Amino acid sequence: MQRRHEDIKFADVNNDIVRSLVETGPRYYVTLAIAVLITLACFFFPWFYQLYYGIGAAGMNHPTVWGTYLASFIFWIGLSHSGTLLSCVLHITNSEWRKAMYRSAEAMTLFSLMVAAMMVMVHVGRPWFIHWALPYPNQMELWPNFRSPLMFDVMAITTYLTGSSIFIYMGSIPDFAAVRDRTTGWRHHMYVLLSLGWRGTDTEWHRLGWAYTFLAVLIIPLAVSVHSIVSWDFAMSIVPSLHQTIFAPYFVVGAIYSGTAGIVTVMFVLRKYMNFEHYITKVHFDNLGKLLLALSLIWTYINVVEVFTGWYSNDSAELESLRYKLFGFYAPLYWEMILFCAVAPLLLISKRFRTSFVPMLILSIAINIGMYTERFLIVGTSLSRQYLPDSWGVYVPSLVELSILVGSIAMFCTLFLVFVKIFPSVSIYEVKETLPAPDEGKTQWQATH
Amino acid sequence: MASNALGLFGGPNAALAAAGKLKGAGFESLDLITPIPLHGVEEVLGKKTSVIKRFTFFGAIIGGLSGFVLAAGTAVLYLHPTGGRPIITFPPFLIITYEMTILFGILATVLGFLISARLPVLRERIYVPESAVDKFAVTVACAADDDFKRATEILREAGAEEVTEITPGSGR
Repeated sequence: MQRRHEDIKFADVNNDIVRSLVETGPRYYVTLAIAVLITLACFFFPWFYQLYYGIGAAGMNHPTVWGTYLASFIFWIGLSHSGTLLSCVLHITNSEWRKAMYRSAEAMTLFSLMVAAMMVMVHVGRPWFIHWALPYPNQMELWPNFRSPLMFDVMAITTYLTGSSIFIYMGSIPDFAAVRDRTTGWRHHMYVLLSLGWRGTDTEWHRLGWAYTFLAVLIIPLAVSVHSIVSWDFAMSIVPSLHQTIFAPYFVVGAIYSGTAGIVTVMFVLRKYMNFEHYITKVHFDNLGKLLLALSLIWTYINVVEVFTGWYSNDSAELESLRYKLFGFYAPLYWEMILFCAVAPLLLISKRFRTSFVPMLILSIAINIGMYTERFLIVGTSLSRQYLPDSWGVYVPSLVELSILVGSIAMFCTLFLVFVKIFPSVSIYEVKETLPAPDEGKTQWQATH
Repeated sequence: MASNALGLFGGPNAALAAAGKLKGAGFESLDLITPIPLHGVEEVLGKKTSVIKRFTFFGAIIGGLSGFVLAAGTAVLYLHPTGGRPIITFPPFLIITYEMTILFGILATVLGFLISARLPVLRERIYVPESAVDKFAVTVACAADDDFKRATEILREAGAEEVTEITPGSGR
């Protein structure tokens, strides 16, 4: 059933998207069950093991006291960056092609932020004291130290999580209303509540348009600040090769880069398994591919600058740290990262590559493997080579840590699988805006631009 | 008696034209219920202004102030002198200020949106489920029976596929 985009009628959009919500095949349940099982077995079980036997169950020890948990934290925060940020930028620049894909991209943001928050819980060792990071009057008369980048993190991530949830929800209100009219039973009641009684009057659309744009404008600087702040967790230490001014843009670009690759992966899966072939098309992959190419070039440039400034400093600790990163114990990982994130994406120069779905999927996964490695190297290599040789060491993640990494991916998949059955994963009203209106040949957008 | 005339149209242009004619005929209380936001509504029904921008602006200002007060206030309450540096340090506290500005800006925008769009709906309002799919509805409040007849005629002339009468609370 291959329809051209122009041939889709308004009613088809409602039918297709409501169908994606209510018609659930056995394949979905099997996938969901596997994802839930892996989450329980690989994330929660090892975590409880670690809580019971102590943080020593993780391989982190002096001098490398930060390990894969924090690498995963940066990775998931990074993955969250493209969704809402990209959606906001494309909304403000009036990009047509955003409309079919932004909902699931935003969902990706939301869920990777949640997984990132879980990684912090695992990392801190005693998560039952996590409320100590919140500013509240307590019997000890203690207040959090707002001069610490860790507190910037708490504020930034809370704000980003709140902002992203509100942004995705507000954009979905008209769609909840459309789905509300077509569902029965508990689903109907849920959508009645979620849609807030939306009717689609001219006043409501006008208010939604303004509020949505304001939110987009507020969220763009927020997203940039979030990953800058995450980078300061590292850059404000005095550890060689972490103490760098380039870290904030380095992290932000890396985040958008891995996030965009994540969007490509998610789009591929949605297109293939939710039958959205005529909504998510080659145009989207082509555009995302161009974006990935640009980002990979910026990312490569910043990497070169990072190595250059380290070398140019001529500081012995810095030079040793650099040598260790490029040629030491972790060198294979470093060159794997360069291969996946700097060399392989050059294939995107070819339009034929950008518009082929399977190669794009493989590349997007490779980029994210490379980006995970980058985060691991930032944490691992730097702490393994500090100023004096007596504080040198090698860190290898333990089985518990690796298992929790796998479990966190499964947790993300579980959350996403639940999402696609509750939220219309392609925006109904915005896809309609890209279609020819029923009584004219042109789309609304074409008529006014 | 007070009632509402409702015309269903197959496309946005016909609906907009009908709304324009009704407006021209002196009907004030008009609503367009549509599946997509329409461009050019303001040319027909008059300029719309919303209070959302004020909410965003003042929300952001309040957020910024409270962010700085939070960081500086807690630093004063729990003194933690480091190397003779000031207790109220601007560079790190500005980051807290920045984040809180955005947080409160976002929350105030949502509040402004809900208030100005009159959501969530607490009492029943006129609604046509078809308008969430592919029909464009124009509803007009009529004070008297004469008005209702006039409105119905205008809607029919403008090419409405269906014209019905709705009294509030009728369930339609």
